[in-house]
Amino acid sequence: MAKTPATRAAATRPLGDDELRVRMYRVGFGDCFLVSLPHASDGATHAHVLVDCGVHARGNLGTIRAAVENIAEVTGKRLAVVVATHAHQDHIAGFGECRDLFAEFDVAEVWLPWTWDPANPDAVKIQKKQARLVGKLRQHFAARGLDADSPLAHALANLAPNSRALDLLKSGFNGRAEIRYLTAGDVLRQPASIRGLVARVLGPPVSESFLAQMDPPAGQHYLRMDGNRVTEDGRVEPFAARWRVPARARELAALRLSKTEQERMREAASEPLDALAFTIDQARNNESVVALLSYGDENLLFAGDAEYGNWRWWIENMEASAELLEQVTFFKVAHHGSINATPPLALESMRDDGFAAMVSTQSKPWKSIPRVPLMQRLAEKTGGRVVRSDWIDLPDAVGPSPGTEPPRPARLPRGFSRHEFWMDYVVKI
Amino acid sequence: MQKRAAVPPVEPPPTRPLKVYAFDPTQGRSLGNIMTIHVPYEPLERGPAGKSVVVIDYDATNDVYYAPVDLDEPGVLLRGGLDPTESDPRFHQQMVYAVVSKTVEHFEHALGRSIRWSFARWSGTKSEDRSRLRIFPHAMQEANAYYDPQMRALLFGYFQASETDSGASLPGQVVFTCLSHDIVCHEATHALVDSQREFFLEPTSADAPAFHEAFADVVALFQHFGLKDALVEVIRRTGGLIHRSTVGSDVAPGFEGPTIAAELTRTNPLVELARQFGEAMGTRKALRSALGTKPNSDDIKRLWEPHDRGSILVAAVFDAYFTIYTKRSRELLRLARAGGQMEGANALSAELADLLADTASKTASQVLTMCIRALDYCPPIDIRYGDFLRALVTSDRELVPDDPNNYRAAFIDAFRSRGIVPDGVVSYSEEALVWCPPEVLHGEAPVCKGLSFDLFRRRDDAGYKKQQSQNARVLQGFAKANAEAFGLSPELPIQARNFHFVHRVGPDGQLLFDVVAEFMQKRDVPVDPEDLEGPTFTFRGGSTVIIASDGTARYSIQKSIGDPDDDGNNERLQAQRAYMASLEAGVPFALAGRKTGAKARALNFSRVHRGY
Repeated sequence: MAKTPATRAAATRPLGDDELRVRMYRVGFGDCFLVSLPHASDGATHAHVLVDCGVHARGNLGTIRAAVENIAEVTGKRLAVVVATHAHQDHIAGFGECRDLFAEFDVAEVWLPWTWDPANPDAVKIQKKQARLVGKLRQHFAARGLDADSPLAHALANLAPNSRALDLLKSGFNGRAEIRYLTAGDVLRQPASIRGLVARVLGPPVSESFLAQMDPPAGQHYLRMDGNRVTEDGRVEPFAARWRVPARARELAALRLSKTEQERMREAASEPLDALAFTIDQARNNESVVALLSYGDENLLFAGDAEYGNWRWWIENMEASAELLEQVTFFKVAHHGSINATPPLALESMRDDGFAAMVSTQSKPWKSIPRVPLMQRLAEKTGGRVVRSDWIDLPDAVGPSPGTEPPRPARLPRGFSRHEFWMDYVVKI
Repeated sequence: MQKRAAVPPVEPPPTRPLKVYAFDPTQGRSLGNIMTIHVPYEPLERGPAGKSVVVIDYDATNDVYYAPVDLDEPGVLLRGGLDPTESDPRFHQQMVYAVVSKTVEHFEHALGRSIRWSFARWSGTKSEDRSRLRIFPHAMQEANAYYDPQMRALLFGYFQASETDSGASLPGQVVFTCLSHDIVCHEATHALVDSQREFFLEPTSADAPAFHEAFADVVALFQHFGLKDALVEVIRRTGGLIHRSTVGSDVAPGFEGPTIAAELTRTNPLVELARQFGEAMGTRKALRSALGTKPNSDDIKRLWEPHDRGSILVAAVFDAYFTIYTKRSRELLRLARAGGQMEGANALSAELADLLADTASKTASQVLTMCIRALDYCPPIDIRYGDFLRALVTSDRELVPDDPNNYRAAFIDAFRSRGIVPDGVVSYSEEALVWCPPEVLHGEAPVCKGLSFDLFRRRDDAGYKKQQSQNARVLQGFAKANAEAFGLSPELPIQARNFHFVHRVGPDGQLLFDVVAEFMQKRDVPVDPEDLEGPTFTFRGGSTVIIASDGTARYSIQKSIGDPDDDGNNERLQAQRAYMASLEAGVPFALAGRKTGAKARALNFSRVHRGY
């Protein structure tokens, strides 16, 4: 395949004292962003904020370790802030996998969603319950045998617990960093002593309805999880064989169901657990920390994997949410550009040609990601200043499918550059 | 040969006795758990297959049929039904048949008419038998049971009890939801409520699904108070205070605490729902209870998950019931005290316990009838808790105008203390709560001419159908001519859905028949008011109109569809949108796992994208 100029790596040049940079690593299906703010202290020229470090097991390009090594090199192993937006593998797996590398880092602050706060009883309850349900679900489907390429298998893989990553984060990188549990409405001024930085937290909220959504109720729908003890083939035969009668038996006569109806019942019998898995998956996306980092004239919006519920809450409830959106100059597109992660409500409030955007995405494992109409609208809205991580060709990696609109441009837009396995966006402050 | 006059056949019996578990298998034989219920007699085929219900024992998980029971076999008849056992599926078939038939009878008795299932109204293929509700006692391996109108069925699952903490069941034992009296009754109630109103189950606000869960729980719980043996036992052990959550032990334990089973206090089975199911799940308690926490007016603003929110309504209804019972039983207790009766647990004489049990069960039956009758006075869609209170008060006033035992007052107090506020009502007085007659709002009450009803005509009669369609036309014309008075939009088509009789007692004590008619309207509105080109959903409005036999409209219970040009001020539409958005955002998880009629006919959320 002939490579377009945009796919060729540019030479790395050192970052200027007056330059802000967002670096998006291509890890596969996952997020790993490094924000470097011009702020001289202790001999360094920039302060660094790492937003997420993870990759989905079924969309892993194997570059995450190299990414962390690059981060170590660029930052001199000093991170002012580490943000873990939510507990999905595609956002935190790297913290576990590269635990040894991170052990050498000096981290000042760790930002986590309030739903992880061990001192918050609501949060503890939610975490316990979710962990239990996820465990049961994984056990159930492991025993039932699941098509490894089904959306359900992908969702479950992403929900897998990762205690190594969580331990590292929640211990504040082994006790050295200060931990902040963030709630929508928090405003952090000069966090990690970065002069001039203001972080506005837009999600996750603590509203009743949000809680209800995060907290699977103890009602009977969920109880079935405990009941479905999983045996080897997952099946119980409730009665001895002598009670069975063949379907053609005369005594059944009018009681016999049609083949279609039997089929329908068999399908219905296996469906509800799938729905549960997707619901928990979505709930977890919605616990995402959404943060607006303001530095100089730049306002960088990192939306994690926030889905509709999270966005909707702060857009409706936060004062001046429309003005905030209007000021955005950089947007980390939520949830890898999926269908329900960037509400028109939000995107349309941002200024035409007023911002640049990055999408960390690829069509594996989910073919429907990224959403083409969203990509088109982003291109229009930003005046072409949007890039996707899957524009970087890597061996064995899935690129954008041919014919996908908008096509990969011949030249990257102003401010962007492409490197070995990452893309940079640089602006002067 | 001389011809002999035929000997007259033996009259069919009025009822058929069948044995069932009063609660569930874990209660063993204690507390009158094995009981006989007398279901209305009907000729049965194998299954059992009767006129309006049929039991089909197909197990989808194992893809097998279990042998259907023949309840007319002499061995079964002589025994008064098969004896309870968990290991014979034929007993399971008998039990679901008996409990569902009994629940149907309760509804028919309360409403004064026979039940026609909701799916009987739908069009379908000829081969489908849409007159009978199908019951699958072992539909699938799942700790769940539900009513599925699309399948025209009640489906009951079975599952293995929790390995570690299974309560009275053995760890890993198979638990059958179809052997829980409460669960069967609960699911049958969903089907029965659905049969009364076409769009009643549509989830239009947090109250609607919660109402249906609560209503089904109420019906299931009230069955307990018809169980004579269990009731007497609980009355004796609680000294008549049947609302207590625990019942006394057989003997008082020593000071070191209970050491033998007879010294253990037990939970009161009357106020609990589906104990085995709850315990088998490892929760150590019954699935739900009639006793909520202390009444407070905050819960209604705080609880949104349908079962949690439903428990507020259940607690309100039982608060009213226990209050009424307590007042009535006090007289008996006072009399007994005068005769030297001691008070307290295990002290009541057998005769007194018997009398109290009669009072409790009679009151329970009256209160349940009140609740079921109120369905006729509910709006056709979008029910809120406050609407139900108004319907209760109105329907009961129609039957018992003077309320000598303060039943209505007990209901009003119970609802008030739980913060349930009916819309558009100035006070909690009975007069304010009764639905408004249309003339209050619109001058003169509209009169409907040309309705003809033949009370003695049977449903399968040839002329019946003709008469019904004639009536439908008359009602449609009536509604169109008086659209405004009934809160209907004159611009939109009006459909006259179900209509049926309801009886009441006239001012002179005479029994009168009214007609309840349901008028429906619908229009498509965008899910997102800002995005007129985007996905849409069907927004319904309508009115339940009660028409006296002379044609005068007596009440019109309205949920207006509103003016399409004024959607910005349409409170109902906005509430429904907000509710749908909260569902879509995953709040609450209400309908995610359960395939009720509500879900089956609800908006297809997967097609409504909140993105590009």
